[in-house]
Amino acid sequence: MKKWLDERLQFSTLIASMFEHPVPKPSSFMDYLGFATFFIFLSQAITGILLATAYIPSATDAWESIKNLEATPVGHFVRSIHSWGANFMIVLVLFHLLRVFYEAAYKKPRELTWLLGVILLIGTIGLSFTGYLLPWDQQGYWASTVGTAMAAYVPLIGEFVVRVMRNGSEVTGATLTRFYSVHMLLLTVLILIAFAPHFFFVLRQGMSATDELTAAKRRGENIETRSMPFWPNVAWRMMLTLLLVGIALWVAATLAPKGLGDPADPLNKNQYIPQPAWYFFGVYQLLKYFPPKLDPLAMVGLPAIAIIVLVGLPWFDRNPSRFPRQRPIALAVATLLVAGMAYLTYQGFRSVPKALVTTTVTQPSYKRDIDPIFQNKCVMCHGNSGNYHLDTYAGVTMKNVIPGNPNDSVLVKKITGVMQPQMPLGQKPLSSGQIQTIKNWIQDGAKNN
Amino acid sequence: MQTKNTTKVPRRRFFKWGVGVISGAMGLGYLGLAGSYLWPPPENTEPLEKVGSVKDFPQGIPTMVSYQGVGVKEGVYVTNLGNGNWLALDFHCTHLNCPVAWSQSSKKYFCPCHGGIYDINGNVLGGPPPHPLPRRVIQQQGDNVMVGGRLT
Ligand code: FES
Repeated sequence: MKKWLDERLQFSTLIASMFEHPVPKPSSFMDYLGFATFFIFLSQAITGILLATAYIPSATDAWESIKNLEATPVGHFVRSIHSWGANFMIVLVLFHLLRVFYEAAYKKPRELTWLLGVILLIGTIGLSFTGYLLPWDQQGYWASTVGTAMAAYVPLIGEFVVRVMRNGSEVTGATLTRFYSVHMLLLTVLILIAFAPHFFFVLRQGMSATDELTAAKRRGENIETRSMPFWPNVAWRMMLTLLLVGIALWVAATLAPKGLGDPADPLNKNQYIPQPAWYFFGVYQLLKYFPPKLDPLAMVGLPAIAIIVLVGLPWFDRNPSRFPRQRPIALAVATLLVAGMAYLTYQGFRSVPKALVTTTVTQPSYKRDIDPIFQNKCVMCHGNSGNYHLDTYAGVTMKNVIPGNPNDSVLVKKITGVMQPQMPLGQKPLSSGQIQTIKNWIQDGAKNN
Repeated sequence: MQTKNTTKVPRRRFFKWGVGVISGAMGLGYLGLAGSYLWPPPENTEPLEKVGSVKDFPQGIPTMVSYQGVGVKEGVYVTNLGNGNWLALDFHCTHLNCPVAWSQSSKKYFCPCHGGIYDINGNVLGGPPPHPLPRRVIQQQGDNVMVGGRLT
């Protein structure tokens, strides 16, 4: 077989050039993140093809078709893997990017590999954004409505871009088929086209971690002791990594199977409050901190700057050094950005409406029972931008709360409707259990416990 | 030899140009095709649709109705302003298109996402929305209240 191929394609030189390069010892697992991302992509492709056999891309049937799929254990499991896979892919691709940044592997001569990586990152985000709408449940419907609405802030052509994305002025069945096609075909093909050279360049140039070794070898030094062969030593370690990632994925899909929310209701009769997917929590949270005038900056300006910086990084960063110690500015800026994003994402998590306990808690604690109610129901208006802040303990107790006397506290009067207008404004009132919980907490002295 | 070469070079140049021009033209053709295929439908071409009778709309109280759009129902708040005057507001907040809700007790529209507030005419009273709520075509035909597409 090998000989047969060799005669025709000079196969063994090709294979040798790919597999026979030495890798420095110790080889870091962090260097396999790109490979792990590719594995998840394959998993997404396989499960995606399977899902496409059952899914009906239409506003009237999409939700039903997923519902039917959920009725069979295997169908449900495949969907769970696909949904978890999307999350895995985002996380892995981000860590891969951070690792490459830390290693300064984007610098000469690997600028093009980095550039293709940026395209792959954007493609991945696009895949999760378009995939989110497909189940046609409330969450996906409204997240897509808000997500596409952001494009309206692009100067001049914004409104038009929104209409192109939605194929009309609202998110409809015509949007669904559009997203379906982009999700299944356009972005997938784009990713494959960008991935081929991305991968080829890595094979051709070797990972940046191998540069030293290659130079030493060229100088005629003996590198035997500080290296190990890619094949089969490193390949084996890579497979182990994939196995771990694969197990994590399957375990996650088993332990936390993907649910299906209520069917999309464009009239929103149940007053669902839209919320984004978790990886957009950072932006979601940022919007709350930005004064409304700066919204275009948060929604269009910052993402545009992020893309420009990512694309241009190999050319902006003129410092030739690869050693972390010699790149204090680059690493400090990146650390700051990552920490900021992580903080925003965490804050976003905290304030996203979760399934709240609606029954009474007799001895409520502020952190466990009270704060979540405010975070879920009140801080959209009474957060950083309102006059009365309910997002911190100090804010809550600043006024409107009389410790030990719930019935005279303005806060209670407002949520019960004794004092009009009843809060939360324009929304369903809090459940009687929640109101009683807040009363109990004030009765107990409104403590910061 | 000399003469042969001079005739050959322009020929090659012609071929090179030809390859570029043909692939460019074919590419543009498909791009144009995709562009016109994906072009969104023009705004405000939705037909008038009956959403209720006059008696369904007490004066001065916005009432939510649904307009049957392409594959989905669209939320519209209809207000009877009296004397045959009507107002139809699209219920998508102009900030990021969350669905607003009318609160009769405070006589305002509220947006649950970032606290946008509008008055009964859809004008912004507070929060981040940059524009008033979008208006839609509305007509009273006899006893029927008819709603159409968005006014721009
Ligand atoms: S979407 Fe209404 S205030 Fe943001």
